[in-house]
Amino acid sequence: MTQGGPSVAITGVGVGFPELRLERREVNGAWGRGGGRGVVAACGHDEDVLTLSWQAADSAIRAAGAQPAQIDGLWWGTCRPPFAEGPSGTYLAATLALRPDVAATVVAGSTCAGLDALVAARDAVAAGRAATALVVAAEDLRPALGGGLETATGSAAVAYVLVAGDGPATVGPPTSQWMPALDRYRGDGEAGTREAYDGRLIREEVFLPLLADLAKSLAADESTRWSLPDPDGRLGAVLARRLGAAELSSAPVAAALGDTGSAAAMLGAVGSFTAPGRTQVVGYGGGRATAVTCDVAAPVPGADLLAPLLDAGTNASYPEVLRARGQMRAQGETVEMAVPPGSAMFVRENPDLLGLRGARCTACGTVNTPPGVHPTCTACGADQFEDVALARTGTVVTFVVNQTMPAPFIAPLPLVVVDLDDGSRVQLQGLSSSAPGLRIGAPVEMVLRRYATERGVPVYGWKVALTEGRPT
Amino acid sequence: MSWNRASVVGAGLIKMGELFDQSYEQMAKGAFDAAVASVDRGFDPSLVDAVFVATQRGTLWGQEGIAGNTVTSAIGLSGVPSTRIENACPTGSDAFRIAAMAVASGAHEVVAVVGVEKMRDKSSEEGLLARAAGGHPIFTRGESAPVLFAPFATRHMHDYGTTREMLAAVAVKNHHNGTLDPYAHFRYEVTVDEVLASPPVCSPLHLLDCCPQTDGAAAIILTTPQRARDFTDTPVHVAGFGVATDHPYLHEKSTYVGLPVTTIASGRAYGMAGVGPADIDMAEVHDCFTITEILDIEDLGFVEKGKGGVATIEGETALDGRIPVNPSGGLLAKGHPIGATGVAQLTECWWQLRGQAGDRQVKVRNGFALQHNVGGRGSGVSVVNILTVNP
Repeated sequence: MTQGGPSVAITGVGVGFPELRLERREVNGAWGRGGGRGVVAACGHDEDVLTLSWQAADSAIRAAGAQPAQIDGLWWGTCRPPFAEGPSGTYLAATLALRPDVAATVVAGSTCAGLDALVAARDAVAAGRAATALVVAAEDLRPALGGGLETATGSAAVAYVLVAGDGPATVGPPTSQWMPALDRYRGDGEAGTREAYDGRLIREEVFLPLLADLAKSLAADESTRWSLPDPDGRLGAVLARRLGAAELSSAPVAAALGDTGSAAAMLGAVGSFTAPGRTQVVGYGGGRATAVTCDVAAPVPGADLLAPLLDAGTNASYPEVLRARGQMRAQGETVEMAVPPGSAMFVRENPDLLGLRGARCTACGTVNTPPGVHPTCTACGADQFEDVALARTGTVVTFVVNQTMPAPFIAPLPLVVVDLDDGSRVQLQGLSSSAPGLRIGAPVEMVLRRYATERGVPVYGWKVALTEGRPT
Repeated sequence: MSWNRASVVGAGLIKMGELFDQSYEQMAKGAFDAAVASVDRGFDPSLVDAVFVATQRGTLWGQEGIAGNTVTSAIGLSGVPSTRIENACPTGSDAFRIAAMAVASGAHEVVAVVGVEKMRDKSSEEGLLARAAGGHPIFTRGESAPVLFAPFATRHMHDYGTTREMLAAVAVKNHHNGTLDPYAHFRYEVTVDEVLASPPVCSPLHLLDCCPQTDGAAAIILTTPQRARDFTDTPVHVAGFGVATDHPYLHEKSTYVGLPVTTIASGRAYGMAGVGPADIDMAEVHDCFTITEILDIEDLGFVEKGKGGVATIEGETALDGRIPVNPSGGLLAKGHPIGATGVAQLTECWWQLRGQAGDRQVKVRNGFALQHNVGGRGSGVSVVNILTVNP
């Protein structure tokens, strides 16, 4: 075991959960299998790993009482970044309004990516390279159809803010162990992740021996809380029995969301961050097990939001989830965006679109949005502006709900005119889930969503979400 | 005094509808021939010395690059100067306005305005609905045509207590008028209950709150008031016109209970014509959606702001009402072949002012008719033309 160096504290945590819950029984029924209890969490049509990660990171930064400009480094662990090869790390940085010198280091390759990112962030803080680090672990797999992963994997994201020194909780150095074994797999050109080996073979020859060996090296007693991997909804409990782990803080998360893969280890620990004590955080993936020890002295800001958010979500049908994942498509051609993702327009406007920026007229103070198409102030005709971040909350001025739309749009699709709290005004899409509750004057917030997957490229922007009834 | 420096001597249109059996060119020729045939003392088409073509969206029939020459070729006037004009939903009314200015300038003596639009050669998904994917990739994504107007319905209902029944009354009236118009796309009555029960399209608007997608064409022949006497004893003069623009994004509107562009454009037209709203005998206004007509009649000054719904339910805009609006059936029943729409509205005004509107003829007291369109991104363009039979 290596020495961890100076103490590294967790000052805030946040989570990002998707909109949909899919009953395992329904998936099994579709494939002619019986049984299956509980649900897994799945992304809606405009959610994915980036939108969940933004949600978790934004919440963690707020919980920590930090400003985005204070973040010196961002590590992001996920099996499936939004771009298999592309600007994933810069997109996340842009949506969080991080400094221009701070983009995400993307850690991928297996579900061990989440803890790998945490370890990398912790090391950077311990080494003095980053005073404040943000680590995000997220999962949004596309499971191969008809396989066991469909009823196992759940989508979610979690984020921690780390700082040097003491805080409500500390995170220690890693312990790790590996064996080169293939369990789940996705090759180049494969859209879905599949199980490569027999489940019992992995369980008996890889998962249980590897994790049991690793756990022996961890300091634990009866009061220790554990966040343990649970790839299939059963192995977590089996492993806990073998380790004699009495308090499994990851169990409520797995029960509510399924196996959240790269996010599972960090997410499974959050529930224990509300009370003092020691938590062993164990991650697994790609034939590797890694653990870190978190010592909680006082409740970590943001951790108390986990429980109410675990209860949220809307039950969705299997076809709805397949459609949202792009695994079920309408025949024929869909309507293409007039501006292709390769257009110079996206290069020009992406910083403003992803960062939700406006142009404030230096003469009259009116904020013009989007800035790129407003060389002249719409209010006074002046032409000098300063770049400003738009407020992320506001109230509904007026709205409509498209009730029928051609593919690839999915109805109900609200369009909402919003007065933001800084006096600026925008028109953006609203969340489908907000459609029934929209009314003039309703309080809303801006949330990152995927607007389209255009010619194979995801396109992101902000949408309007009702804030009424949301846990805060 | 009215402007009266250009005069209509012929106007006509083809039966509107889903004209799957007619090409763009055939529709253009049908409308032009109808206009030629309408000239009281006959008309030799070779007298036309310029053509203004109103087509808003050639992409709907697979012709991205159409220019004026397509129409001159189709109507047998190849060689004659021809210019295509595009200005959103007011395309036809703006082409007419520009043609009137061309005549008044002395540059051309006899001009034809040909409005023609193919709306149904592509499926709805690939056609007009594709607009929802056009424009700015985020700020206008999902902005189908109803999205441009439905937010005003939401707000008008909230601020003034306008009801869905009041919106429906517009559809009921205009569908009734359409049954009296042989050129209308839809020629059947609808009831308030049918409008309320029709499927939701873009809440709060339902299917029967929306105009159809219609193929159609209309044409008008304009000349100087002096030359007009060669063709007819009852020319209809261009009394005035007005155009106004507003910012193109919905979030930049100064109000969501009216379209100030219409008020500004009509103010300019009234001033030029030397009349006010009370002098207008009938109006053809832009009722792409039921709410739009309610906004229009308020913004044009026919009724007080906020009272458009009540006025409609009380029959003020019916054929025998205080100010008959859309006797042709409007866009809701006659149809909205975009480039042709304004030209067809002006044709209706021409018929009404000359007492040729048959069963839907309104009483002409002062000799003035008003035609109006509004549209474009953010409904930011409005055109108003005022016609008169008064010399």
